[in-house]
Amino acid sequence: MAEFLTVKELAVKISICLAVLVVVMCLCAIVGTQNISMRRVFDGPGQKAGENIDYEIFIGFRLPRVILAALVGAALACSGVVLQAILRNPLADPYILGISSGAGLGVMVAVLSGVTWNFLGGSPIGIFAFAGALITVWLVWYIGHFTGKSQVTSLLLAGVVVNAFFSAVIMFLTSIAKSEQVHSTIFWLMGNITDKSLLVLWVSAGCILTGIIVLFAFCHRLNVLALGREEAQSLGVDVARTRIAAFACAAFVTAIAVSLSGLIGFVGLIIPHGVRLAFGPDHRQLLPISAIIGAGFLVIADTIARIIVAPAQLPVGVITAIAGGPFFLILLAKYSRRVSWLK
Amino acid sequence: MNALEVENLSFGYTPENTILKDISFEVIQGRFLAIAGPNGAGKTTLLNLLCGLLRPKAGSIKIDAAPVESYSVKRLAQKVAVVRQEFVPVFDFTVAQMVSMARTPYLDTFGFEDKTDIQMVNEALEATDTARFALRTLGSLSGGERQRVFIARALAANSPILLLDEPTSFLDLKHQVGIYDLLKTAQLKKDKTIVAVTHDINLAAQYCDEILLLSADGNYQIGETKDVLSPEQIEKVFGVRTFVGRLGQEKFFIPLGKFAKDSGKTADISHNIQYK
Repeated sequence: MAEFLTVKELAVKISICLAVLVVVMCLCAIVGTQNISMRRVFDGPGQKAGENIDYEIFIGFRLPRVILAALVGAALACSGVVLQAILRNPLADPYILGISSGAGLGVMVAVLSGVTWNFLGGSPIGIFAFAGALITVWLVWYIGHFTGKSQVTSLLLAGVVVNAFFSAVIMFLTSIAKSEQVHSTIFWLMGNITDKSLLVLWVSAGCILTGIIVLFAFCHRLNVLALGREEAQSLGVDVARTRIAAFACAAFVTAIAVSLSGLIGFVGLIIPHGVRLAFGPDHRQLLPISAIIGAGFLVIADTIARIIVAPAQLPVGVITAIAGGPFFLILLAKYSRRVSWLK
Repeated sequence: MNALEVENLSFGYTPENTILKDISFEVIQGRFLAIAGPNGAGKTTLLNLLCGLLRPKAGSIKIDAAPVESYSVKRLAQKVAVVRQEFVPVFDFTVAQMVSMARTPYLDTFGFEDKTDIQMVNEALEATDTARFALRTLGSLSGGERQRVFIARALAANSPILLLDEPTSFLDLKHQVGIYDLLKTAQLKKDKTIVAVTHDINLAAQYCDEILLLSADGNYQIGETKDVLSPEQIEKVFGVRTFVGRLGQEKFFIPLGKFAKDSGKTADISHNIQYK
């Protein structure tokens, strides 16, 4: 007899994954160049500033950063899941649609024009990245629909073309920029989770979590959409509307992640793959579990980036790429017999 | 009552080119219609028009007396289930997951199956004898098994109308007959209206009540299978001479090529066949 995914079963799986994530986040928040004790953290803030340094480091620096990493990881993983389903391409990730180059171009424009104003207590670079990413995604979508009937193929091609063009523009701008301007963008382009104001953190958290919940409501339709346009329509899914809505939501969530952390590769590709291989392709399960595992993965990667060359820090994008490649190969080797498209 | 009504239907993929010209026919509820004809005659196009995937250039299509355009995508999926040629999906869905997708038009916001959905899926898996590999992935099945899964999905939709596009094209003889047995059972037991595009006029002769023969020049003929299928008609539509045999009440046709030793003769061989 067939087995069906029930709300209860999914809730249990999500709860277990969330519990593990919380433990990982706490452990990663303790780890750092300055050793802190959890017991001291639980003692509270103390009477005056500086009395309980452990508490202040944990609450003021480590926890926001860990939460930020978790949010970005969850957003990128979810976006990967959704784009792979819409494009019916297991190799699609949030950056294939030009998000990286668009955001990068936004950052270059911000740095070169020397913007200094403040947004929500933070740097405006993120806003430029967000705008660049969204404008590029819109452009890719427009070109993809303008050029051909096969929306999936033309979307992918439009993403590749726009990516190549914008990358060339970024290189051009880099070559004419001053060296100190270039330096400040390079870290961002490599993906870097740095401290953000609490307001930015909470606004982003609200947007990303809302985006993930909205995407979760699309999941059963994503299952059908992954079979192709004709199949999906015959099974009662309004293909055009669902594609636009899910695509827009995924692009929005990714643009927020990119504006927070710069370009972090591999998360949107390997996390959905890993979760799909372990839990199966049902998107109702794949999306929430990918979000949680993506969050945990980036929290760990960021912690390694913080401590591996301490007191200096590595861009987290370097860690995800170094860890992601071999991890992906291990997954492929282990599960390749179960996955038909690998044959 | 007519489950499907097609009136003066015309369609072409470009304004200059018309594939289907002024076609009219009805399918009464609970009947099994075959659509046959040479390659390029527009059989699959007609099927895609019937399921609302394409819009006619002229004329109308009605499902249960309402124009097909008046249905929402969801409502149409509740009325009409479509089976296309079997394929392996990009992602490794299990048989149970694939069959459950038939229930998509009935699911709530977050898309979880309720008891009725689960019952429908289980019944469809049992009816098609696919329950025993419900947990296997589609990629691990043979073509015949996969086609049965897609038919299970159509049955799980519990829609009154079933449209099929060459459901047996890549299957061996046993599976061809198996698929048509399944469809005929669904027609008789559940009063389903079935329209199947097929290249196999013998299966159509054996299982279908009516047949629509589409010619490449745009002409067509529709009627009871036994009346429409004749060597003359087949030669006119397909450009091939056939040997016609009879097996009891049923006719069967053997196409004759250039090298056929005997040609065009009709024989009654029923007396030569001994059943044990």
